[in-house]
Amino acid sequence: MPYLLQGSLVTMALVVGAMGLGLILGVILAVGLVYGPLYLRTLFNLYVWFFRGVPLLVLLFLFYFGLFTLVGINISAFAAAVIVLGLISAAYQSQIFRGGILSLPEGQLKAARALGMSDTKAIFFIILPQALRLSIPGWSNEYSIILKDSAVAYALGVAEVMARAHFVASRTYQHLPLYFTAGVIFLVLTYVGTKALRVLEERVRIPGYMR
Amino acid sequence: MKAMTQKKPVLKVEKLTKRYSSKEVVKQASLTVNQGEIKVLIGPSGGGKSTLLQCINFLVVPDEGRIWLEGKEILHSQKKELYDYRQKVGMIFQDFNLFDHLTALRNVEIALLKVRKMSKKDARERAVAELERVGLKEHIQKYPAQLSGGQKQRVSIARALAMDPKVMLLDEPTSALDPELITEVLAVIRALGADGMTMVMATHQIGFASDLADEILFMEDGAIVEAGPPARMLSQAECARTREFCSKLTGLYGDSR
Repeated sequence: MPYLLQGSLVTMALVVGAMGLGLILGVILAVGLVYGPLYLRTLFNLYVWFFRGVPLLVLLFLFYFGLFTLVGINISAFAAAVIVLGLISAAYQSQIFRGGILSLPEGQLKAARALGMSDTKAIFFIILPQALRLSIPGWSNEYSIILKDSAVAYALGVAEVMARAHFVASRTYQHLPLYFTAGVIFLVLTYVGTKALRVLEERVRIPGYMR
Repeated sequence: MKAMTQKKPVLKVEKLTKRYSSKEVVKQASLTVNQGEIKVLIGPSGGGKSTLLQCINFLVVPDEGRIWLEGKEILHSQKKELYDYRQKVGMIFQDFNLFDHLTALRNVEIALLKVRKMSKKDARERAVAELERVGLKEHIQKYPAQLSGGQKQRVSIARALAMDPKVMLLDEPTSALDPELITEVLAVIRALGADGMTMVMATHQIGFASDLADEILFMEDGAIVEAGPPARMLSQAECARTREFCSKLTGLYGDSR
């Protein structure tokens, strides 16, 4: 049990790292997709298409055994998993944020510009604070998906929950209790994470809006 | 000082044209607004009033035409110049466009902090002063969703005033308001006029316009068809279409001032 629980720390580290990377890249992608010039939109659309289209396991192997080795980057399996999960998540998150940006009235940007704000300032201070609030429900979806996807990192030998369960099960033949426990750990993590996001959503809610 | 600069042109717009595909929504519109003057745009909806106003501060980029502020031509392709110019041109929108995630106070403050780079203390003082000026002292900590339409529009006026604009563009500032809320916004605009603010306003409030305007411009199908002092425009306009429109408006809104 403690051995599996330690794995949940690794799993959480994977998820937090991937979501964080995905958040930063996802916001950049979303802003580019909405406000960028045509060449940038095309480029970003290709990115989204690629990372949403190729299966996770293929991407993990492609990057870890293929690309990183090819260009001579020597990184741990854990770092590779965070990067690949993060790159994939960025593609999904970009669409969540894009939806948030597009749901804002056009007048918000106009009013910011009319005050002499550059587009960059308007996006930073006016558009994103509102769009990100609207993105939290979609983001909690993405969290639960990444959480489960992170189990695939076991294929690279990252000692997260699934890898540990598999490792112990293959030696003790206690398959049912071990995989059951692993499943329960994922359920608990999903619950805690989505609950935390609900609390966040509540805390940043703009006063005066109906629920 | 005031009297000396009375006739100085603040804003000059020459032959502004805006097309969407082949349709000209603003046709060769020209106007000059002198210091302290109030010009009122009237005309049917879809006549190009709103587009003209938005072209003046380049929220909609015109296809042709030139614009001068205080004698200096504005080249909107120069970003820095464009942002400086927009600070000096206050814009009031029909549907307020307050920043929904910020309190009334923060709405007024944000451009002072991020655009004019004022210190926190100065920005706060200025924002509070402007909100008091439009009669919203008790509401500065409220969010837009907690304010009435009239209060929202007054916040947006305070937000524009805080930037020390040389001229204000008002795009049907009362059209989205209930009749009983119109008066409070008109009172604020009237006070601005009395303080000598230079303004260009599109409105259907014909009674209000005739009280306040130095000149009324009738706009239809993208062109400024006729212009003149309110007394002449409302009773004996030369153009038949202007007369017809004005008499309809007077019938509708004549008594709300």
